[in-house]
Amino acid sequence: MLQGALAGLAAGGLYAVLAVCLTLMSRLVRVVNFAQSATGMFGCYVAVHLSIQVGLPTWAGTVVGILIGGALSALLGWIISTWLAEADIGTRSAVTVAVLLLLISLSFILFGNKPQPFHPILDGPAFSVNGVVVSQVTVVTVLLSVVIAVGCRALLSKTSFGLELRALSERPTTAELMGIPAKPLAVAVWAVTGLLSTLVISIVAPSQSNDATSLSMLVVPAAAAALLGGFRRLDLAVVGGLVLGMAQGAVAQVDSLSVVRYFLPFLVIVGLLLWSQRKEVWDVAR
Amino acid sequence: MNALQVRDITVTRGAGPVIREVGFTLEPGRITALVGPNGAGKTSLLEAISGVLPAARGSVHIGDVEVTKHSRVARAKLGLAHIEQGRAVFPGLTVLENLKLTARTWPRVDEVLALFPELDKRRNSPTALLSGGEQQMVVLARAFAARPKFLLIDEMSLGLAPVVFTRLLPMVTRFASEGAAILLVEQFTHLALGVSQDAIVVSSGRVTYQGTAEALLAAPNTLHSAYLGE
Repeated sequence: MLQGALAGLAAGGLYAVLAVCLTLMSRLVRVVNFAQSATGMFGCYVAVHLSIQVGLPTWAGTVVGILIGGALSALLGWIISTWLAEADIGTRSAVTVAVLLLLISLSFILFGNKPQPFHPILDGPAFSVNGVVVSQVTVVTVLLSVVIAVGCRALLSKTSFGLELRALSERPTTAELMGIPAKPLAVAVWAVTGLLSTLVISIVAPSQSNDATSLSMLVVPAAAAALLGGFRRLDLAVVGGLVLGMAQGAVAQVDSLSVVRYFLPFLVIVGLLLWSQRKEVWDVAR
Repeated sequence: MNALQVRDITVTRGAGPVIREVGFTLEPGRITALVGPNGAGKTSLLEAISGVLPAARGSVHIGDVEVTKHSRVARAKLGLAHIEQGRAVFPGLTVLENLKLTARTWPRVDEVLALFPELDKRRNSPTALLSGGEQQMVVLARAFAARPKFLLIDEMSLGLAPVVFTRLLPMVTRFASEGAAILLVEQFTHLALGVSQDAIVVSSGRVTYQGTAEALLAAPNTLHSAYLGE
């Protein structure tokens, strides 16, 4: 069970980073980005193509792939900031569902529908605890999730840039009337979250199911983790991601329950949504 | 010329025009009261000046620069500030953070807080927790902190007790005395005219009076006919 839980930590770190990205997007640019992991998947597929077909070194292909993931995300952000600046969060989020489907289809057309032959960026064990091996991928993804969450929190609370982003997220029109450039800031948030998503997917993808649909649907467990923090709190998003990954890993060790791991994110989402609505029901009943 | 000019501006909202060929100039150091009944188009006019709404016809000039097609951000950088209707605070930010957005430097924040001692006491409170009057003070202080050349103020008194509003009004006067040109939209017409040098009356999107505030105060029939649609 412990072995399974620790094995699940790598996926947990991945969920945590994606959950932090989803939380930042929701807080700062008013969108639930369903294409968060799909842009990462697409960037990673380009990286694999560049290293396998074009012959670029793995590191160079990965860097280009990460930049493409960031650029794709920035482009989507630019489109939404230009034409849907005043739209509500539901409309803006619905557009990202279309982009999710578009990127999955495009990857099928360009790269086929088989898993890609990823070259691992990180490989091998980092250390072992009581005979349980912890991989380098696990250590890096968990650390990455914590560093990104702490870094983003510091950026938002301690810098002028973060202050402007928070103002923009609360009252975009008022912020613009004060001279805060809404569109460039929003596009920057999209670009950074796109870069981070592609980076973390490129680290974890070689060691898990890496067909286009599986990687794109990582947004589901990430959304479950972000929901734990109400799409507001970065710390709870990280905790949610790590716990969900460990729970999936632990459940996978029990033969009779192993299939449950695929449903776990959905169960968490349903459970959290019901839990979050309990006060609404009580208030209405009063 | 260091003035804000509105030249024959027409603004449409939905089906038809809400402002028709309105023109005026805001001069440095002067307060202009913009009065008229509800639905006259006052807010739309302010929004067209600051770029929230596009102008269908006519033009807006800040100094020598025509800004009709400029973004809101570009207009703000040319010295235009717009205090929107309602209490446009950033509720999740503290008083200090709200001020820091426009003040840029801590000495300027302290300078502004000295004008509003009530806010100084609550400098680290989230603005969501302040009273309505305090929130409006934050909005006013935030605008002052930017030192804009032109300030548009839309219904500052909305939802406030008159006693709170009369506490805020001298701040507007003080700011004008420091050289800012102010366009003041206000439901308390007589209080607004009392602190203004110039006045514009709009009714159904058209200017029905343009002159000194003193003359308008002395001719109450002009004001009454605008409000009663006579």
